[in-house]
Amino acid sequence: MDPSEREQYQAAIHGDREAFEMIIRTHSRTLFAIAYGILQNREEAEDVVQDSLVKAWKTRWRVRDPEKFPAWLATITRHRAHDTFRRRRTVPLSEQLAEPVDPVPADTAALDQQLNSALAALPELHRTALTLRYFEEMDYRTIENTLGLTNGALRGILGRALGSMRKQLRPALASMD
Amino acid sequence: MATIHDEIDAWLTADLHGELSNTEQSALHAHLLDCTACRKTHQEIKTMNKILEETLAQQKPDPAFEQRMLGGFRNRVPQRSGLVKLLVDLMRLRAVQITAVAAVLLGLVQIGRMITGEPATAPRERERYVGEQFAAQPSQFPASRAAQSGALAKSDEVAAGRPQDLALKEPPPPAPAQSKDEGRGGAEVERTIVTGSNIPTAAEEAAQAQVHEPAPALANRKLIRNATVELEIVSFDAAVPKITAFASEEHGYIATTDSEKQANGKLRGQVVVKVLPENLDRFLQKIRSLGELKNQTLGTEDVTKAYFDTDARLKNAHVMEQRLIDMLKTKTGKVSDLLQVEKELGRVREEIEKMQGELKYWDSQVQFATVTISLAEKDMEEPAAFLLKERAQLALYAPDVEKIYNEIKSLASPKVQITNAQLNHDYSGRVSAQVSMLIAPEESDGVIGRVKAFGRVENFQTQVQRIAQGGTGISENARTKRDKVELNIAISREEQEQAFQQTSLRIRTSSVNEKAKELRAVAEKQGGRIRSSTFSSDPNGREVASVSLRVPVKNYPALMQSLDSLGKVENVSVQRQDRTDAQIDEANAPADVSIQVYSQGNIVTEDSGLLATLRRTLAQSAGAIMWSLRMIGVAVAFLAPWVIALVALVWIARRVIRARQSRS
Repeated sequence: MDPSEREQYQAAIHGDREAFEMIIRTHSRTLFAIAYGILQNREEAEDVVQDSLVKAWKTRWRVRDPEKFPAWLATITRHRAHDTFRRRRTVPLSEQLAEPVDPVPADTAALDQQLNSALAALPELHRTALTLRYFEEMDYRTIENTLGLTNGALRGILGRALGSMRKQLRPALASMD
Repeated sequence: MATIHDEIDAWLTADLHGELSNTEQSALHAHLLDCTACRKTHQEIKTMNKILEETLAQQKPDPAFEQRMLGGFRNRVPQRSGLVKLLVDLMRLRAVQITAVAAVLLGLVQIGRMITGEPATAPRERERYVGEQFAAQPSQFPASRAAQSGALAKSDEVAAGRPQDLALKEPPPPAPAQSKDEGRGGAEVERTIVTGSNIPTAAEEAAQAQVHEPAPALANRKLIRNATVELEIVSFDAAVPKITAFASEEHGYIATTDSEKQANGKLRGQVVVKVLPENLDRFLQKIRSLGELKNQTLGTEDVTKAYFDTDARLKNAHVMEQRLIDMLKTKTGKVSDLLQVEKELGRVREEIEKMQGELKYWDSQVQFATVTISLAEKDMEEPAAFLLKERAQLALYAPDVEKIYNEIKSLASPKVQITNAQLNHDYSGRVSAQVSMLIAPEESDGVIGRVKAFGRVENFQTQVQRIAQGGTGISENARTKRDKVELNIAISREEQEQAFQQTSLRIRTSSVNEKAKELRAVAEKQGGRIRSSTFSSDPNGREVASVSLRVPVKNYPALMQSLDSLGKVENVSVQRQDRTDAQIDEANAPADVSIQVYSQGNIVTEDSGLLATLRRTLAQSAGAIMWSLRMIGVAVAFLAPWVIALVALVWIARRVIRARQSRS
């Protein structure tokens, strides 16, 4: 972590609102990716990020080490997303996922649906790693830091994720070629 | 160790994501050349990656996402509380603390400066503002301003001859100034206040020339003019008809009048007159002939801008109303929409009514100028009458308080009214009384004389106060009346009186008891009263009797002579209070004598010798031991809880450390 970043986190912990707002600008997309990885719903994910930011501001004094600030933010977001997920457990998952974002041709829609269910079948950590990679095009090192993974672990995770999805979508993939 | 083939998915993914090193890349490619299965997988992974890129790109947050997050955060965490927290957090830093202290000191210095008076900024600003006005009308301003006040001040002479000049004496501000003022705000108020000032005639003459300049067009301006005049007149009743006449001459009317009669018969009142604005100045001149002008204020409020704004808004509202009515007429759309239109129409109509009312009010205000005339008759403050209030305080000493109290109470008659009578017995048997009475003025001297004769006068005070009624100051023809005399009497028993003379002496004798009895007999023979007596004897055989008694001064020498017969008189001291400022009935004044009759006891006291000393020493040391024991107890009680708490803390800490060690 470079010193200026560290300073920014330190200032935010000390209650510097501007520093915190800067962190919101730079980190909210990452947090969104994490929340989306758990919830697979944009609106909910956005709400979760919003709540997490407010909660983070209110409890910022709990962070002792400024270096851990981003990881701490990610943890809060993850917990909040889980809360939201648990709360909606009564609503069938497929129903939410089935809602198409916008009208698309039939075969594409079918593929989308398959992809979504394949994504839903993945472990949560895999999904989060995928969203971080594909939303923000983060390099592996950064993703590992954000998710608190050990060095080099991400390669296996992403590999397994893509592998299991590829197996599930094999018929569709074959038709695409 | 896992081979590339075993983990082909991870290798391929990392390759696509550009996360393989060069050696890894070449190893992977070499494997792909060998293995058909992995080549197929490579194809699939590539497609998979593409699909994911395309699909997840749709789910990516839009560009305004951060802005939304920020906005939401700002909404939910208001800045202010954040600022307070920020301050609290900042105050934890040493540098900030030092800076804060410095800032506080600086602030105190600034406040001190402000208090001691260095008002550098405010006046300068006002000067600049005035300067702007001068710049707006460089040639006219000073002259016309002087003309205005000059014309008002000297108008008594000027007005009669040339009323047409005075109609122009307060022209509305010229055009450039107006546009400036319009930019600044809705309404402007221009005011001229005259309080009987006398501006030199030369200035007035110079001003007259300016007054003749034609006034700018008034036609389109909406000016509300009003004036207040304060006049001192000879007779209110004569002035009102005159004002009525003046008002009708100027095509005006009297709106309200009210008057109030003061206690001294003078009238004070207010007349509100409405006149046409163009006649206002002439009317004011006429009014001033009624009496002496105390104060005059002339105000012009320019509501042009507000008026036309409202007018324009009214027109818009009418258009809106028409549009809404049209919408209702076509009657298409849902019922709820129509209801919405109805509601809106109601609101617009209400607005229209409000604005129409406003315009009407302004019209009426502009049409007539309001003149408020306050009238007061001359010598308003002169008192109507004077009242002489007499108050007397009398303190009496009497041997029998209750008897005198009853006697004073029996003086009551229609002309002597007792307002308050009080007899107090307190727990120590002291008696005192207080009587307050009101006495008719013609009876007062007689009654006071009789009361004084009831006892010994300690103190007598009278106070006369002259109270003006219905005004202040002096008046030549006001009557003076004597009011009832208020008399407050305090009666106390003679014993409470301070002695005129105090004597103390000692008599040494061998038989104290006997001599004390003899002493009482002597005192009673001389008309004295024993006030207190004590007798004591100590273990050494010493006997002491103290007697304190009071005799009238006339019997004092006889008493002193008879004391000599009782024993050897020692240590005589006499203290006499000569009150030069008071007249005292010396023969009857009390004299106090306190006498100590004593005998000499044994030469050597019992409480001495070796044994006694030993006993005392032991007792003292035992006392010292007990004291130190008590102190130890206190110390233990003081320290024990802390020691226990500390030990418990250390014990817990050690347990925790041990538990951690064992875990690791």
